[in-house]
Amino acid sequence: MNKVISRIFVVGVVLFVALVANLTWIMVVRAAWFEDRPENKRSIAKELKIKRGELLGFDGSIIAGSLRRSGYYYRDYPQGTLAPQLLGYDSVLYGRSGIEQQLNDELTGKATDLGVQSWIDRLLGRKPKGADVKLTLVPAVQKTAQRQLAGLKGAIVVLDPKTGALVASASAPSYRPTTLEDDWARLRADAAGGPLLDRPTQGLYAPGSAFKVVTATAGLDYGKVTPTTEFVDTGTYVVFGGKVANYGGAVFGPNDFTTAFTYSINTTFAKLGNMLSRKRLAASMQRFGFFQTPPLPLPRGEVVPSGRYGKKGLLPPDAFMDPLAVAWAACGQEKVLATPLQMALVTAGVAHGGRVMKPYYVQQVTSAAGDVVQKARPEQWLVAMKPATAAALNTMMQRVVNAGTATSAALEGIQVAGKTGTAERGDGTNLAWFVAFAPADDPKVAVAVVIEDTQSTGGEAAAPIAAEVIKSALAQPALP
Amino acid sequence: MSRRNVELLFLVIAGAVSTMAYVSVYAGRFREINRLSIIYGLVFVGIFFVLHLLVRFALPQADPFLLPITALLAAIGLTEIFRIRPSLALAQGRWLLVGAGLFVITVVLVRDHMRLDRYRYIMGAVGLGLLIATIVVGTTVNGSKLWIRAFGFSIQPSEFAKLAIVIFLAGYLNDKKVLLSVPTHHMLGVPLPATKYFGPLIVMWFLSLAMLVFMKDFGMALLFMSIFVALMYMATARIIYVVIGGGLFAAAAAIAVAIVPHVQDRFSVWLDPWPHAATTGYQLLQSLFTIADGGVAGAGFGRGFLLYANRQPVVPDLQTDFIFAAIANEMGLLGAAGVILVYLLFMWRGFRIAVFAPDGFSKLLAAGLAFAFGLQTFIILGGVTRLIPLTGITLPFVSYGGSSITANLMLVALLLMVSQRTNVMREGSDLERRRLAERG
Repeated sequence: MNKVISRIFVVGVVLFVALVANLTWIMVVRAAWFEDRPENKRSIAKELKIKRGELLGFDGSIIAGSLRRSGYYYRDYPQGTLAPQLLGYDSVLYGRSGIEQQLNDELTGKATDLGVQSWIDRLLGRKPKGADVKLTLVPAVQKTAQRQLAGLKGAIVVLDPKTGALVASASAPSYRPTTLEDDWARLRADAAGGPLLDRPTQGLYAPGSAFKVVTATAGLDYGKVTPTTEFVDTGTYVVFGGKVANYGGAVFGPNDFTTAFTYSINTTFAKLGNMLSRKRLAASMQRFGFFQTPPLPLPRGEVVPSGRYGKKGLLPPDAFMDPLAVAWAACGQEKVLATPLQMALVTAGVAHGGRVMKPYYVQQVTSAAGDVVQKARPEQWLVAMKPATAAALNTMMQRVVNAGTATSAALEGIQVAGKTGTAERGDGTNLAWFVAFAPADDPKVAVAVVIEDTQSTGGEAAAPIAAEVIKSALAQPALP
Repeated sequence: MSRRNVELLFLVIAGAVSTMAYVSVYAGRFREINRLSIIYGLVFVGIFFVLHLLVRFALPQADPFLLPITALLAAIGLTEIFRIRPSLALAQGRWLLVGAGLFVITVVLVRDHMRLDRYRYIMGAVGLGLLIATIVVGTTVNGSKLWIRAFGFSIQPSEFAKLAIVIFLAGYLNDKKVLLSVPTHHMLGVPLPATKYFGPLIVMWFLSLAMLVFMKDFGMALLFMSIFVALMYMATARIIYVVIGGGLFAAAAAIAVAIVPHVQDRFSVWLDPWPHAATTGYQLLQSLFTIADGGVAGAGFGRGFLLYANRQPVVPDLQTDFIFAAIANEMGLLGAAGVILVYLLFMWRGFRIAVFAPDGFSKLLAAGLAFAFGLQTFIILGGVTRLIPLTGITLPFVSYGGSSITANLMLVALLLMVSQRTNVMREGSDLERRRLAERG
């Protein structure tokens, strides 16, 4: 019996040796492999031990700080929650998003271009220190934008038309990143209305009449119309077995192109659409950046392209359109969808003499040692139109504010130029748009505002909000 | 040095080590060491000191290493449980006290395990009854029906059934070992003993199958079947029982994988957890990530990343079935391998007692208990490290759970009794032998 007992003990020993061998395999040989698996969120936990770089506003104030609690660093938002959808979260449970994800290497001191000190630290195996990132976001303007959206659903994007710097980016409804993990289920529920979604870069909306800026650009640029070209409106425009009507059933009679733009006459723009044809309209859209992802550096999928969308997503620019579709697309309806960012880029293009600057949000990166390792360099992205077209549109957009659909956006002592949009959603609610820049003679700020689920028009719901944001932006001592 | 002084010395060492681990966790959590943390440590040391005194009085010649090993493992468990959820550590401390009480009762009441041989059929009936009761009135937790809720407590009867069945089998097989090793007829060329004595193997197979199908628990079924096969093999020295038992269990397991969805899930996750990373494979993968993160030296007691900001453990069930993931993370490969070595040491002492034991019943009892203990450890450790399919079974003395710690303390009491008899028969005085004979 003893022989058999010993034999069984030997089997036990073999099993235990197998356990230790397997453990060595997991903990030593394959440890790095396990750490790199995307399913493994523990590396985020490890990085909590690193003092994460701070995210600063353009004025140098801290937007997202780093606070130490029992050995781990956690984000702290001394000014309250600013642009949480753009800044993103850094959660061990749910991963990272937004700027926190995009700039993670800089914020954790892992990026390769953080200077000699960081390189020495890594060589000596010292714990790296995160670099601070100064953003182009101006906290005062951001706060104004968020306040304007309080209780509403929508988005506001503010750009500097001359540089492409993102001055403010607000998205409502919103969330608090400090309680993200406790609120996760509620935030993801349908009833919450998508508070985690960054509407400025990912919200696709029918641009409605705000898109007429693009159609007008094409008409003027291709010489199909001038600001004084005459049209006659009878309330409807019949084409290809369908018709295009004006908002609210209005009938304007004889009108020139500037008047049509000022009062947003659909029939005139529908006619212009067919004068241009599908090809030229699409080409003009492309020159504004439609049909491609705007080069705002964010994680994959966090900036979406604008353009025409079919059932399977973005359609190519040369997809077929019949004349009725072209007529409606020229009025910003049909299958045309745009993000608030794209509409802000359109406005900024007009404001900057037809040149569209590359959008960006990093002003400068300062390593933990105090060296400036990266600085913003504004770059031109696209040329959307001839300078003469831009000048003509500038004047027409001023008329919209002075005498047209957006008189509610007029400001004392500041000439605002803009275009309203009201897209009817068929369920009784509207999307209210207003895109604008100011001051008209020397534009310093371009704004796109969209409000969802409203009964009002762009002029009523969006224009006053844009005016408040412009006023706040122009009151700042410095803009990027 | 006498056996009891050796035991005392190692108990002191185990106590010191565990107090250090505990204080490290406490300091990691609260950043200071206060009087309370030391009192907890002292209460723990006190429990084992009382057990030591009992053994010194009642079983003076018993093995000196089992109690210190138990103390060390229990301390590691308590420390990690406290680390993960302090409120549970207090409950586990209470269960340790209950277990110590049962240990005392077992030693005082039984005194000598030979007396248990007389009640072997009662033991077998108790074991069978506990398992059947679980199947009939048990509640399902995490997909397995392992628990009976009574009087506000959750009891896991299979932990106790394990002891009863080992006692029954040791007695029964010791009695019938000759009859079982002589083949009386052949079936398909395989020599088989009389069906009368072969019957229990079939009963056991059906029991394992029932556990698989009704309790949906692969681990306990494997444990019971293995205990039975191992004891058959030890009693008869005929490898054919291992082959038949293994084959029957493999067939039962294949049936279970095919028809029980819970077992099926566990099996497919074991084969490839990655496609199920967010669902059925989540727990196992988080366990592997947590273990891999420990590295060679570990993060240190109380310093690993085991809890999220909202105090939820990174691996579900970290304090029970997955406690080894926490140990590996905080103690590293060195500490984790050390813990495995401690289990091996326990198993070795058990088999050593069996080898030197004076009679068949004692041998089978000690070897059976040591085997059950070692195999249970292997099943859960292999499960959380993906060496074998994962099954919900506790890590003896370390996992949170009242049934586990009390049943395993009784197991230690039984092993100590066998070693007492072994050592007295081998080297004790005439007086001691005579006293033992009277007791038996």
